[in-house]
Amino acid sequence: MLKKELIFRNPLRLMGHETENILQPGGFGAVLARAGLGKTAILVQLALDGLLRSRNVLHISLDDSVKKVCLWYEEVFRNIADQYNLSQTDQLWESIVSHRLIMTFKVDGFSVPKLEERLTDLIEQKIFLPQAILIDGLPFDKDMRESLAELKKLAESHSMHVWFTVRTHRHEEPCPNGMPVSLLNVTDLFDIIIQLQPEGKEIHVKALKGVPAACDYPELLLDPSTMLVKG
Amino acid sequence: MEKTSEKVRNIGISAHIDSGKTTLTERILFYTKRIHAIHDVKGKDGVGATMDSMELERERGITIASAATYCEWQGHEINIIDTPGHVDFTIEVERALKVLDGAILVLCSVGGVQSQSITVDQQMKRYKVPCLGFINKCDRSGANPSRVIDQLKNKLGHNAVAMQMPIGLEADFEGVVDLVAMKAVYFDGINGETVRVEDIPESLLSEAIEKREELIDVASMFSDELMEAALEDKVTDELLISAVRKATIARKITPVFIGSAYKNKGVQLILDAVTNFLPCPSEIENHALDMNNNEAEVILSNDSQKPLVAYAFKIEEGQFGQLTYVRVYQGTLAKGDTIFNVRTGKKVKVGRLVRMHANQMEDIGKISAGYIGTLFGIDCASGDTFVSRGFNLAMTSMFIPEPVISLAIIPKDSTAEVNMSKALNRFSKEDPTFRTYVSEETGDTIISGMGELHLEVYVERMRREYNAEVTTGTPTVSYRETITRLAEFNYTHRKQTGGAGQFGRVAGYMEPVIEDEFVFENKVTGGSIPTQFISACEKGFRNCLAKGPKMQFPVTGIKVVINDGQSHSVDSSEMAFQAAARGAFLEGYAKAKPVIHEPIMKVVVETPTEYQGAAMGSLNQRRGIIVAAQDEGSICVIEAQVPLAEMFGYSTVLRSLTQGKAQFTMEFFTYKQVPSSISEELVKKAAEEKKNVA
Repeated sequence: MLKKELIFRNPLRLMGHETENILQPGGFGAVLARAGLGKTAILVQLALDGLLRSRNVLHISLDDSVKKVCLWYEEVFRNIADQYNLSQTDQLWESIVSHRLIMTFKVDGFSVPKLEERLTDLIEQKIFLPQAILIDGLPFDKDMRESLAELKKLAESHSMHVWFTVRTHRHEEPCPNGMPVSLLNVTDLFDIIIQLQPEGKEIHVKALKGVPAACDYPELLLDPSTMLVKG
Repeated sequence: MEKTSEKVRNIGISAHIDSGKTTLTERILFYTKRIHAIHDVKGKDGVGATMDSMELERERGITIASAATYCEWQGHEINIIDTPGHVDFTIEVERALKVLDGAILVLCSVGGVQSQSITVDQQMKRYKVPCLGFINKCDRSGANPSRVIDQLKNKLGHNAVAMQMPIGLEADFEGVVDLVAMKAVYFDGINGETVRVEDIPESLLSEAIEKREELIDVASMFSDELMEAALEDKVTDELLISAVRKATIARKITPVFIGSAYKNKGVQLILDAVTNFLPCPSEIENHALDMNNNEAEVILSNDSQKPLVAYAFKIEEGQFGQLTYVRVYQGTLAKGDTIFNVRTGKKVKVGRLVRMHANQMEDIGKISAGYIGTLFGIDCASGDTFVSRGFNLAMTSMFIPEPVISLAIIPKDSTAEVNMSKALNRFSKEDPTFRTYVSEETGDTIISGMGELHLEVYVERMRREYNAEVTTGTPTVSYRETITRLAEFNYTHRKQTGGAGQFGRVAGYMEPVIEDEFVFENKVTGGSIPTQFISACEKGFRNCLAKGPKMQFPVTGIKVVINDGQSHSVDSSEMAFQAAARGAFLEGYAKAKPVIHEPIMKVVVETPTEYQGAAMGSLNQRRGIIVAAQDEGSICVIEAQVPLAEMFGYSTVLRSLTQGKAQFTMEFFTYKQVPSSISEELVKKAAEEKKNVA
């Protein structure tokens, strides 16, 4: 019951994605926001959704240390547990963290071939077979098309989907379709793009791409005190 | 010690094992006239290097204890701590770096930056110790100092800059070109004691000019004066030295020197470098914690007139009592003074002060701020701070890693037992990473430390120094038993053997608890168990915990609630209810799905990136769960949770998998349930053992 209820909280499910896997193998999703709005919090909620369904999640951080990433997970999980007044979550936590592997790289040291090498190590030795990869902090300022295309191939070949965080900048005017300039050249590679947008004191969670057309999803907000998405 | 501390250098010599640091120290002592003959570490004369004072060290050719020693060079006083190179003795390196103001990082010109160099370098970073590089063994076949400088840059991230270039290499290594003075330096005489300075050979001149330009380029980044002089082509030796010195002290650059200590080449120049480029005590800011002010940080001043703050960084049990190596950070420590040990609050009278030279002593009257010396015959532990009356400052506590391996030791006879306890007392006082305790479960004396070799050396020292013959057991894991679900019990103990019988009935339930080891709750109402027998019931249950019914392992995480029972006016007694509780425990326990728990360790492996896959694989094979992998350029840090039972002998496996370039640390994380296949194996093993005993 506990697991099911928590799975239901996935922000994207509230946007109308009924199927179990929001992204198909090889699918790309992106969470867009300016610095400090809560991209990582959304990413962690997406990860927890997978972990609760016993999916293996590889979290790659190019900004934060392992310790900080772990803290994010603990914090978001604790907030979810508090929100539902759940007690004795230790066993549940134990059961989900074994499905998570965190990798950190220096931004300059990260490349698709390097990731492929690491993945091969993990998969060939049956150490960890990720079903989803989350990449936090990948700079989209330079031309990423080639790298992302390579990554897509890699994800397809291993039946994984990939979520990214994309940092946008206050001074950059978005394109007419609402996409930030940095994503313009690669929008077609992404199946889902969601954006965190501050309006007054609230942070709105808006879908820029990939939400079912007929869907009349409720307006979603990111609660700045818990960093959880609320309907 | 009347001179000013500006001419004092407190330095350490750190490196990978077998890089030749003990040989280098030996040569330094020879050239500074502290010794009059050279004995090599594994020399044919059987004397061994002067710094290796322990017999065992001489035999193994490695340095275990960091012998502190003192020498003078060009009007400077140099305190040298020779530090061990093996990973198992890193606490010695850590202590040395804590009290030192600078260090020489010795690297092998053939082996280059090896795994231990990486550890030592991290320790230097932690204590912000400025360092010089010395690329040793340039006479060896395969010597390549340029490659080592590149490794210093790439592997350790140092802004390494060559201060010298070799004149010939391998068997043709003759001397060095000093890129500051732009002179060729040769070392003549049987022991290289005569330094001959000549012009740079024509064949090397253009390369030397190029290298000097590189040096000026790097150094000028940290000195505007040098930058201007370089633009105007007016660089003087003094200006260059001063710029390099400033940047070295700020840890912005690492000047690199070359030579061959064994062949007596380049040692005098590294001594010059120590005086030229490493800081004096007043150039380093040291902090203490004010114990009266919520441990607020206090900056110490290197002033001999101020109240005393001295730090005991090493303890040794000498022939005539305890030797305490101290560094005085502030004030003066003089013979006859009364000082206070901050940890114990006890006052101590300074009887005798000595300066150590390996295992020889020289009496001195006082130790001034910035100096290192030795207190004789004072009882304290390493890491203690000594202060003047009325002060309550403690030096920052040292980072002490937790022991990772335990071993049972059994003395052969009663004499050995007495000697063993003396030895253990001393070792645990000298070395905070070496711990000892008596196992409550087995009654054995357990020693724990930083690695298999660490413990092996102590066992060996017990034999040699204390004549304590001990046998060692195999490393053991402390398993636990616990229950996984609620189960009820209702047990009647009845015994009638003539005379007064025994009667007691105990009913209730048991359930798992997470945080406590054992909880007992009495919910008996209406006096079905008389109050005076309740404590007997608790005792009965408690007695069952030491050896669990499943595998004889201690039982933890269990809550017992009694809610009903029955007594007999004549036949009930404390003993009867204890027996009833035992019966009730066994009855409930069998139904409560007992499982075995094993200790899980947090293992952190630090490996060059190219061995990451192999290291991960090795952890995976040991039932480990890889939690994270941190890629830090050339090094990768893997974090995993691995059962302790699978970790024995891992250091050897890891070394062979990674050509000795990876290392790991391990600390207790939690207890987790043993998988059923392993549990079955344990049951089988226990049954076999029982059979063997029978």
